[in-house]
Amino acid sequence: MEIIVDRRLEAAVERPAYFRGNGHLVFGFLPPGSFISYDLRRKYVRAVLSTKAARDDSFWRSLLIPITIGILGTTVGVVPLHCACLEQNGNGLLISGDSGVGKSTLTAALTQRGFALISDDWTYFSKEQSTLVAHGLLSPIKLLPDAVQFFRELGELTPTIFLNGELAYEVDPARFAGSTAKNTSRPSRIFFLERTPHPGCHFVPCPSASIRDFFEKSAERLPDELIDAKTLRTGLIGTLSALPSWVLRSGESPQRTSEAIDHFILENEYATA
Amino acid sequence: MQPLEFSHYSDPLDLLRRFIPTPMKATYRLDGARLGVETNDCALLPELPLDADITATCALEWKLIRDADSPGLLEPPMFLTSATLTVVAMGTACLLALDHETRKLFAFIGTDIDALAFREYLVPFLCRMTKDALSGDPIGCFVSWNYDSAHV
Repeated sequence: MEIIVDRRLEAAVERPAYFRGNGHLVFGFLPPGSFISYDLRRKYVRAVLSTKAARDDSFWRSLLIPITIGILGTTVGVVPLHCACLEQNGNGLLISGDSGVGKSTLTAALTQRGFALISDDWTYFSKEQSTLVAHGLLSPIKLLPDAVQFFRELGELTPTIFLNGELAYEVDPARFAGSTAKNTSRPSRIFFLERTPHPGCHFVPCPSASIRDFFEKSAERLPDELIDAKTLRTGLIGTLSALPSWVLRSGESPQRTSEAIDHFILENEYATA
Repeated sequence: MQPLEFSHYSDPLDLLRRFIPTPMKATYRLDGARLGVETNDCALLPELPLDADITATCALEWKLIRDADSPGLLEPPMFLTSATLTVVAMGTACLLALDHETRKLFAFIGTDIDALAFREYLVPFLCRMTKDALSGDPIGCFVSWNYDSAHV
């Protein structure tokens, strides 16, 4: 990875994040004022950063590193997938589901119940000696403004505009819930969240094929020249889909849903023991 | 003529627009070399001498993608060059990359780039990059990092 810092970019036109690619090449702009190219075949990254970007810790933590792993990861053995990861008593728990279903508010509620946060939006998976490992970047939880109805303490924070143009709160789980954050976990179960207008929380066993289809479809399509990356991702999704999985149909608040998950895990572990 | 249509894929995701089809193809002569061009917009087929020999392999290929989601006009080019790769950004209106090993150049060109800007500026720019690449001088007149000047 080669990074050039150029103060002349302070005067560059400000533009939102914008990426394009073809085959093994990906490039684009990253605010403020930076330009990056990724060569996925040669595993090489070149970036020109404005001094403002280079000096901004949140630029590295929330943009450059996650995006770089997101784009390059699959070619170096790390597969990014769209789900949250938490941990309780050494057991990793993945929360997945369609966009807007409430994964982040549920994640925030679970941290308030003492679950350690690994990741909120994107989780990075690898295999270590055939064991699936989930990695996070110690990134904060992103909550949309309407989450205030569930978390009154958000009213004390100021929302910011994110990479995708969304206005959202950035929540540090340690400050928000006194919860710990971890880098890695070994996932042992998956909950696929669905909203329902009916009260209650219902856990329905989910076939592995459904989990596999969901992750395959929600991942960026890869070109044929990255066949090794495609193979790696397919294999890893296959391993992931073999984990015990449930569709969680919830018509309850994030707090009630997190409570239901907590009880479900306890009952499940008791039954297994 | 059919109105220009753009294909986007959301299942699976194609956020990077890697898989926009480029069904229009033509071959040209450029300084004695054979140049293949493929695009999704016939307005992006350059006015260069055509090559009728369809059996010969191309010395270099251009893939020119009209990008419906890239607004704006051309800005002064920024270059990131290495021995294997030249990447140029002219704002979001035109992003292009030339892989010197595979001899493939691809460019995303926004809808605000009209025929005049394409013919008078972009085509000469692409030809210059192509000649430099074919001459074995991948960096050529382009410095490794240049924000100030276009060198076209």
